[in-house]
Amino acid sequence: MGVTVKLDHAKCVGHGRCYELAPEVFGEDERGHCTILVECVPPEHEKAALIAAANCPEDAIKLARS
Amino acid sequence: MEQKENPCPHTGVLNIIDPEYTAHPQPAYARVLANHRVAKSIAMHSPILSRYEDVVFALRHPEIFSSEMDMQVLLGTKRPMIPQQIDPPRQTRYRKILDLRFSRPRMQALEPELRRHAQQLIDGFVERGECEFDQEFAVPLPCAAFLTLMGLPQEELDLFLELKNGIIRPPVDPMDMIAATEFRMKTGERIYAYFEKAIADRRARPQDDMVTYLTTVDFDGRPLSDEEILDICYLLLLGGLDTVTATLGCSMAYLASNPEQRRKLVAKPELIPNAVEELLRWETPVSLVPRVLKQNVTIGDVELREGALVNILLGAANVDPAEFPDAMNVDFERENNRHISFGAGAHRCLGSHLARMELRAALEEWHKRIPEYQIKPGAVPNVSPGIREQLYLPLVWSA
Repeated sequence: MGVTVKLDHAKCVGHGRCYELAPEVFGEDERGHCTILVECVPPEHEKAALIAAANCPEDAIKLARS
Repeated sequence: MEQKENPCPHTGVLNIIDPEYTAHPQPAYARVLANHRVAKSIAMHSPILSRYEDVVFALRHPEIFSSEMDMQVLLGTKRPMIPQQIDPPRQTRYRKILDLRFSRPRMQALEPELRRHAQQLIDGFVERGECEFDQEFAVPLPCAAFLTLMGLPQEELDLFLELKNGIIRPPVDPMDMIAATEFRMKTGERIYAYFEKAIADRRARPQDDMVTYLTTVDFDGRPLSDEEILDICYLLLLGGLDTVTATLGCSMAYLASNPEQRRKLVAKPELIPNAVEELLRWETPVSLVPRVLKQNVTIGDVELREGALVNILLGAANVDPAEFPDAMNVDFERENNRHISFGAGAHRCLGSHLARMELRAALEEWHKRIPEYQIKPGAVPNVSPGIREQLYLPLVWSA
């Protein structure tokens, strides 16, 4: 049981909310677009990952419990 | 033009230049959201979109809501500004080379110098017990950082401000559109001429700055032309010298008028980054952006026709209760905040990482030194429409 993150690269335009709010889960490429650092989120970073997804103005991040 | 209620409850006409509206637009946004899926601007009765859902749809569909419009009358430009007035996919190619220069790590590198500058500015007036916030803090702080980034001489700041203001707020009678257009076109000529010289200079003597970068960057296997570089610089000048100034002023006017909210930040400075986001949502300093329709589109039961100018009211979308629970409450601990003060879709503000760094650093440095302050009693705020700059914001405190 854990949370996995999926990014829709086509939607990301580089607002950067995710890597500011959950830097253990999300990183940035050289343009400032989102990269996924860990696909399976460790429990201690779950809340941050949820907040990051909820703050993405492009709705580009989806979380799923597996 | 006289209109008692704003927006008019019958026609849905929103008076976007009414001083009461420009100072405190949120109640009017709420009335538009509640009553008019498509409102109308007092200027030519052009349609206004305000719901969060409609606004992000428009911003994410440039094939319908295009940015390619002739703005010479409003901007003094001879050609579209790059990349703001160009649609994807061409716009995306320019963004690829520009995003690299406006990434978060590059902006963070400017932070120590910006903080030092903020401290110096505060040193200059703290013992006086008052300042005019716009001219003494909100204008000089972000403008100096911008000039550093661009590699433009600091001692020419007044010239750049004159050029920028000559486009955004030409010093003529606001109702005299002909005089305004003439002033803008003359100012536009001066902007092109300045940067033509700067480009030639950097080609001859390269430096570590933006203009040099633009003269040397590989753009899909070729260099940028002088015209392309000019059209980028024109945009950077207008965007870089105005928006953070406006946001600082709106944020401080709010904090000065709401002491219980301000004291939360003073007691818990770690709230400042989140408070910056909430103030961006609430104030939405760039309150409205234009688009032009490339095809007919139906919003609700209103059909909008190809060729129509559409006003995208970012400020209203940011207080839409369908997106933001308790939308009319300013909550510095709001956890879910998908505000679109930097826009959305392909044209997301190029300078958003710079703006966030500057706003956080400025509010932190200010409140360390001047935690208690208020707007000078009796002062009448003067907030410009469109980009909501607090043109006159006198603050007082106990020295």
